[in-house]
Amino acid sequence: MFWQWCRFGLAAVFLLIGIAFMILAVFGVNRLKRALDRMHAAALGDTLGILFVFLGLILMRGFSFDSLKLFLVILFFWMASPVSGHMISRLEAMTDEELGEIRIIRRDGQGKKDQTDKRDKKEAQRDEDI
Amino acid sequence: MELIGQAYDWLLTGAVILLAVLIICSVVRSVLGPRIADRIIAVNMVGTMIIMIIAILSVYLEENYLVDICLIYAMISFLGVVVLCKVYTGVYLQKKRMHANMRAIEENLRHQQKDGGQQAMAEDQRMDER
Repeated sequence: MFWQWCRFGLAAVFLLIGIAFMILAVFGVNRLKRALDRMHAAALGDTLGILFVFLGLILMRGFSFDSLKLFLVILFFWMASPVSGHMISRLEAMTDEELGEIRIIRRDGQGKKDQTDKRDKKEAQRDEDI
Repeated sequence: MELIGQAYDWLLTGAVILLAVLIICSVVRSVLGPRIADRIIAVNMVGTMIIMIIAILSVYLEENYLVDICLIYAMISFLGVVVLCKVYTGVYLQKKRMHANMRAIEENLRHQQKDGGQQAMAEDQRMDER
C-alpha cells in the first residue's frame, strides 16, 4: 500500500511538472513579441513538457508493452520536434524582410515600455527624402 | 484500494482539464498571430497537447490502442508542419519572382523610352544642322 502511494506521488509530481512546462510554453507564446522568440518558447513544451508527462504516465502504467510504446512516442517527438522547428525557423527567416532590424526597448517618461526604433527609422527616411 | 483509484481519477481528470484550457489559450495565439510562422507554431503546440491528452486518456480508460493512435497522431502532426512550411516557402518564392519580373519589365520599358528619346533628340539636332 505504501509503495503504491509512493508511486502515485512520483507520477503525480512528474505529470504536474510536465503540465507546468506546458503552461510556461503557452505563456511564452502569448507573451513574446516576435515569431522566433515564440518558437523558442514553444520548443520548451515540445521537448521537456512531453518528456515529463509521458514519464508520469509510464510510472502509472508500470512495466508493460504500453509503457514501451509511450517511450517510443517520446523518442519520436525528440527526433521530430527539432526538425519541424528548423523548418519553421527557415520559413520565418526567408519570409521576414525586417529580420535584421535591431529592436530597442526604451522606457519613456510616460511609462510606455515597448517602443521600437521603427519610428526613428521613419523619421530618418523622411529627412533623407527632404 | 478504492482511495488510490479515486486519487488517480482526480489527478488525470485535472490534468486533462488544464490541458484543455491551455489549448484554448494557444488557439487564441493562432488566430491573433500576425505572421504565418506564429500560426504554424501555435498549431504545432495544439497538436502536442492533444497528443498528451490522448495518452492521459489511454491511462484513464485503460485502453491499449489509444497509445497507437497517439503515435500516429504525432507522425501526422509532424508531416503537417513540414508540408505547411514547404507550401508557404513556395508561395513566398513565387510571389517574389512575380514581383521581380514586373520590376524588370518596367525597367526595360523605361530604358527603351530613354533610348528612344535620345535618338529623337539626335535626329532633331541633325535636322537643325541641315
